Amino acid sequence: MTANQRNLRLYLPVYSILMLIYALACFIEPTFFTWNNNVNLFTRITPLIFAGMAQTFVLLTGGIDLSIGAIIGLTNVIAASLPYVDTPLNMLLWLLIPPLVGLIMGLVNGLIITKGGFPPLIVTLATGAIWKGVTLFIMPIPGGSVSLAIATHVNGMLFGIIPVPLLIFFGGVVIFHFVLTRTTFGRSIYAIGGNESVAYESGIACQTIKLWVYGFSGLLGAFAGMFLSAWMFSADPLVGEPYILNSIAVAVIAGTSLMGGRGGVAGIIGASYIFQLLSNILNLLAISTFYQFVAKGLVLIVALAWTSSETTGYLLESARRLILPERSTTPEVR
Amino acid sequence: MKTVNGSTLRDVIQQNITILLGVLIIALFVLGEVISHGFLSFGHIGAVLRTASFLGIVSIGQSLVILTAGIDLSVGALITMGNVFTCMLINGLDSNTLWSIAVIILLGATFGTFNGLGVAYLRISPLVMTLAIGSLVTGITLIVSQGAPKGLASPMLRFIGVGSVLHGIPVIVIVWLLLSLLVIMLLRTTIFGRKIYYIGANARASYLSGIKVNTNLMLVYAISGGSAALTGALMAGYTHTAFLGIGNEYILWSITAVVIGGTSLTGGKGGYAGTIAGAILLVLLESLLTVIKMPEAGRKIATGLLILIMISIYFRQKNQRT
Repeated sequence: MTANQRNLRLYLPVYSILMLIYALACFIEPTFFTWNNNVNLFTRITPLIFAGMAQTFVLLTGGIDLSIGAIIGLTNVIAASLPYVDTPLNMLLWLLIPPLVGLIMGLVNGLIITKGGFPPLIVTLATGAIWKGVTLFIMPIPGGSVSLAIATHVNGMLFGIIPVPLLIFFGGVVIFHFVLTRTTFGRSIYAIGGNESVAYESGIACQTIKLWVYGFSGLLGAFAGMFLSAWMFSADPLVGEPYILNSIAVAVIAGTSLMGGRGGVAGIIGASYIFQLLSNILNLLAISTFYQFVAKGLVLIVALAWTSSETTGYLLESARRLILPERSTTPEVR
Repeated sequence: MKTVNGSTLRDVIQQNITILLGVLIIALFVLGEVISHGFLSFGHIGAVLRTASFLGIVSIGQSLVILTAGIDLSVGALITMGNVFTCMLINGLDSNTLWSIAVIILLGATFGTFNGLGVAYLRISPLVMTLAIGSLVTGITLIVSQGAPKGLASPMLRFIGVGSVLHGIPVIVIVWLLLSLLVIMLLRTTIFGRKIYYIGANARASYLSGIKVNTNLMLVYAISGGSAALTGALMAGYTHTAFLGIGNEYILWSITAVVIGGTSLTGGKGGYAGTIAGAILLVLLESLLTVIKMPEAGRKIATGLLILIMISIYFRQKNQRT
């Protein structure tokens, strides 16, 4: 299978589902297709995209990051606690301190996991509780403020037409897609997720790479927290909570395997869009939020069944066998 | 650190996790008594055990699921569903109590079976499958209750939830004790119990040796769903009325109790006895921190540190390289 075929197999399901839902949305509610509604959607999905990318990096190595919600919460609170008068120094502080804190938190996760050899799930569960405690010490109730210039720029339009959130998340996805597919660091992540022993035998510094993967994850979580602070113009210590599970869901819908070694960030935009689109459609149809949970659950299951590599692989394999019956492969058993 | 027969101290601890946890629990109780007089009183021990019972019962399912190398994130939603539906069905009448609880357990087991179906047959990762079912159950609970839970627990359920017998032994603790014995027997003496360990240790090998992996997985997830819904129903006896979101905290708490209890997240290793100790330890720590008036922020940090300390004691995997 060539790289192109692999990418197609990875991203075809998520973007085909997106097209389907989008078409359905435009059909049942014409106002959906307005530019304003879409600009609104771009703003809403940006933090989810960054959280999803953070989770993807970790999932690709075969790990998981449950502390991402707390990282988003803490960086969100820090970003809104910095001095917010519009001076260049303050803006620079806003740009530098939260990512630094996020990076450090990620590296601490990575250090405990790699040096201790503990399961990532329980380590990040524990560190998540600790970061959350620190967040609540700094800001027990929602509050704080952000530089007005930053907030207007982040929520504004470039040249009066291109929404800045679109630029931010598109730029982010392009950069991190490049990191994953075109750099040694990125390829090593896939190698580790595929088979760590083989990766080690081939001379990859597994522990160092994993350490920095968690660092990257913390950094990306910080970007999500910063964006949220600029968007809300203040901070909420519990803002990150929903992102713990949503980031995993988005990463998996985007085609990343929880077993590691398979996936990428290019599908994240589509997956986040699907996620947000659902509540958007149901809101436009004036359906009670109660039904949105049911709809979200059902769509998640359908999307998972469709994107889970085994099912898709099985369908593709069946289709291929229909066309080319002579090549047979050994059936996969558990 | 070698002991006489050549095994390291860590090996000794790993083989006696429950004893270690027991010592820790007693130490915490004594520490509490030193800090605040009355911590070691019969009444307070009963109160701690009562709170731990709910966590312990929901952790029954979580233990079994984690033993098969899975995880169940839908327990929170199922507890809330059990809590809300029980109050609606019972509506304060004793005559409704028993069949209502049976219906609730069945309903929970049904949703658990859906989890199992996705995990076993669709090969969806347990983490996201149970997350999706959790969202579904939350929605159904909200739709049925219209966002405002109605109904009351009956006197009989109240007796189970807050009552006590024999000069202060809470009824719920006795219920938990009986269920615990049942689960420990199930894991140690039945074929089904052994299969759970085999599947967790190596699903493929157990498939090849003739174990019906998919059927057993579905059964395990059904038990988890049932135990979570039962927890919700019993909580109705404790809270008297239903609360939406009562189960949310229990998702991570149940996982924490299981892990502190020494069950491996990679499956196939551990048991329910450790989980019992883990649940008591968690509740006890929370109680101790409340006594010294620690704010919520500090309690979170302490819980996180406890998990890190516990896993560093006995969760060390054979780490091959640096």
